[in-house]
Parts: sequence; C-alpha cells; structure tokens
Amino acid sequence: MSRVLVGVKRVIDYAVKVRVKPDKTGVVTDGVKHSMNPFDEIAVEEAVRMKEKKLASEVIAVSCGPTQAQETLRTALAMGADRAIHVEIAGAEYETLQPLHVAKILAKLSQDEKADIVIVGKQAIDDDSNQTAQMTAAILDWPQGTFASKVEKSDAGLTVTREIDGGLEVIKTKLPAVLSADLRLNEPRYATLPNIMKAKKKPMKKVSAKDLGVDLSPRIKVVSVEDPPVRQAGAIVPDVDTLVAKLKEGGHV
Amino acid sequence: MLHQFTSHFLRHTAPSRRHLTPELLLRLVTPACALWAARAEDSPFADPYWGFYWPGGQATARYILDNAAIIKNRSVLDVGCGCGAGAIAAAMSNARTVVANDIDPFAVMATNINAELNKTKVETSTEDYIGKSCDDFDVILIGDMFYDEEFASILFAWLNRLSADNKMILIGDPGRHGLTEGRRSQMTLLASYELPQETRDENNGFTHTTVWQLNKL
Repeated sequence: MSRVLVGVKRVIDYAVKVRVKPDKTGVVTDGVKHSMNPFDEIAVEEAVRMKEKKLASEVIAVSCGPTQAQETLRTALAMGADRAIHVEIAGAEYETLQPLHVAKILAKLSQDEKADIVIVGKQAIDDDSNQTAQMTAAILDWPQGTFASKVEKSDAGLTVTREIDGGLEVIKTKLPAVLSADLRLNEPRYATLPNIMKAKKKPMKKVSAKDLGVDLSPRIKVVSVEDPPVRQAGAIVPDVDTLVAKLKEGGHV
Repeated sequence: MLHQFTSHFLRHTAPSRRHLTPELLLRLVTPACALWAARAEDSPFADPYWGFYWPGGQATARYILDNAAIIKNRSVLDVGCGCGAGAIAAAMSNARTVVANDIDPFAVMATNINAELNKTKVETSTEDYIGKSCDDFDVILIGDMFYDEEFASILFAWLNRLSADNKMILIGDPGRHGLTEGRRSQMTLLASYELPQETRDENNGFTHTTVWQLNKL
C-alpha cells in the first residue's frame, strides 16, 4: 500500500474580491478571508479516497507558510489526512516563496517520509503558477500525471486520465509518481464538526525550510503587480443595420 | 457551565444506535443534530469529544459485548471514557466494578447520562490515571488514545508496566499514527470490524477498527 503526500496551500478565499496594493508589490492579504486552495481540496479528497479504498496506508498533508498555514492543515486533517507537516515560512521569505522552493520542500519530504504518491492541486488560485507538480516530479525524477480528472490503480502503477486541450489523454505511470488534481477529479467533502473536532487530536509536526536543507532565496523577481484594465462600457444600438454599420466603421467586419 | 451541562447536552445530542454496538443506546452528536454541520466557532462546547463514539472505543465495546466472559466478575477501568460506551459495555457484561475515567468532567457527566439510558450504573472518576499503578483493577480499556507520538510513548510505557503487573490491557484503534508497527508487534490482534457508514462519515479516512491486547513482557 502506498503512502500519499498532499500539498495544501492557504490562499485568499475564492469569493473575495482581490485588491492590488498601492505600491504594486502584490495584493492585499491583511484582514482578508483565506481558505484552502480549491484544487488542493480536490487533491486531499483524492488521497483520502485512496485510503478509504485501501490503496493508500497513510495520508500526510504538507503546507508551507506562516502560522496560519496550520488552519489549512487542520482542514486537511478534518477531511481525512492522518497527520500534517507544517513547513514554517514567514515574513519576507514567505513573500517571495516560489513554486521551485515548494517543489524542493515537497521532494525532500517525499523522500524523508517514504511517500509513493505526491498529489497537489494543478495550480493555486492566487498566483496561478501551475508549476509545483511538474517541478516536484522533475526534482525527484518521478513520472507525473498532471491535470488529472481520473486516477485508477493498475498492476504496474496508476492509470491517469488527463484534461488536455481538445479532450482527454489517458496515460499509465509507474510508482512512485506525482499527480496534480484538475477540477473534475472529484467533489471534495465538507468537513463536519465531528471531523473538525477529531482533527485537533491528529499529529502536526513543525519543521523549517532550513531543517530540510532548502534554500529560499528568490529565483523570480516580481517587477510590478497591476490591476486588470477596467472594462469600458458598451453601447446599445437601435437595430441590426446600425450594428453592422458600427462594426464596419470600427473595422471589425 | 458545569451545572448547565445536562440541559445543553440533551439539546445538542440525540439517542443513537447507529454504531458497532446497537445494543447500547447512546446520546451522541448525530447528523440529526444542528452541531453536526456547525462550524467549530459556533459550538457551545470547546472540545465535545464525549459527543462522539470514537471508532477505537466502538471496537473495545463490541469486543467486550461479544466476549463477556473475559470481563465477568473483574474490575474494569475505562481510561478516556468519552461518551462512556466502553464502561457501559463492561457493566452489561457483568463486571464486578466499573470505573469510567476521563479528565474532562463533561465526559463523565455524559457517561452517567448514557449509563442511565442503558439501565446500568458505573462509577466515574476525573483523576488522571496515566502513570498510576491501578491496583484496584484487572482490566484496562484504552479506546482511541494513540493519537500522536508524544502521547503514545507515555501511554505505551505506562500500559507495559500495568501489563507486567498482570492486568489485561485492551486497546481499540482504527489505525492511528501512534499505534506504530513497533508497538503493534508487542500486541495480539483480537478482532477487526468494518465501521458502519455513519461512523465513517464522522471519521474521514477510516473504514475499519481493531482491538488489540498488549502482550505481557
């Protein structure tokens, strides 16, 4: 049976309207509601289902971030992860934490914990990088099944259905492997109070990036964060002829 | 809070037989209760661990009810009794004396209410027994207490001392982190049970529960 490592990220809640900081260095996070990255919820759900189907023996949730990352880990534990590892990264280092750092951390922890499968969300809804799974697989030199919409156990390893441009691709991978969860992989369960209460009793270990030997100096420099351009108001035309005339005028037809 | 506990308890729990020991009627936080789907911050209780029938506790209670002879006329200590099911199962199996123990005073209150519901009587105690010699007891019940490494190692060292002192140690556990392979190698598996759906729903990730007896060193 496999041991599964799941990466979970604390991000600004999907329902919050994101505001850019006046100095354009990033977005406003103070006093803003945060929750688990929705694609990571799908990753946790898939890992827990593997455990419930006896394909996995243990599910370990990992999060990199400040103290509040522990809330996200508690949610993963309430969803059914067995234990959690909080990689504490705060302040300036957290501001410049990049997918390469997270991939190095996940790769190191997968080896330390003897994981057979790493699952992460395909991307985080804050920076939309979509790099962590791919980089983790590259560092470990493991096969990868990204944008997974279906994962099945086969004799030799896993059969992964991937969501690609124009359709679905089915691949077979050996184990160990890295997976990234796409939207249609499953519908994550809601953590009820009994599960939330019991999650408080599950073990959570705290480590630093230094403990894992991962250098957190930034490799990417953010030049400027800008608001998307404001959409200009449209106009209502009285009839089709006027519409066609306007389109011709604007050079659209 | 202590004096209001009974009314809060009755309001926020419902009688249930939907668990591994349907012969016991237990007041629990069930899907019929508002608390089930509440957020943690909306719960009137800080840690209502006594509102749930933990899968490890279900295993020991089921085992006792099926093997009443091992309990008959013996004195039983249920450590971390929670809702009290293990102690009640022991009382129903004609134990000589039963003490339901939990350091949470609400848990022993819940236990008393549940014992009455099943027309049994158990003694209760909020003393911290862990580390103590337990001279008055023959059988020690441990339901779902091997949560983390730190606590498991304290618990395991104590249980080994009790076992060396000829006490029967029954451990119920659904496969928690602290019940490591090394520790299990010093135990004998007595039974394994599939968890009912409602128990699975409140214990995401767990599908089975087991009972172990600690071997005498």
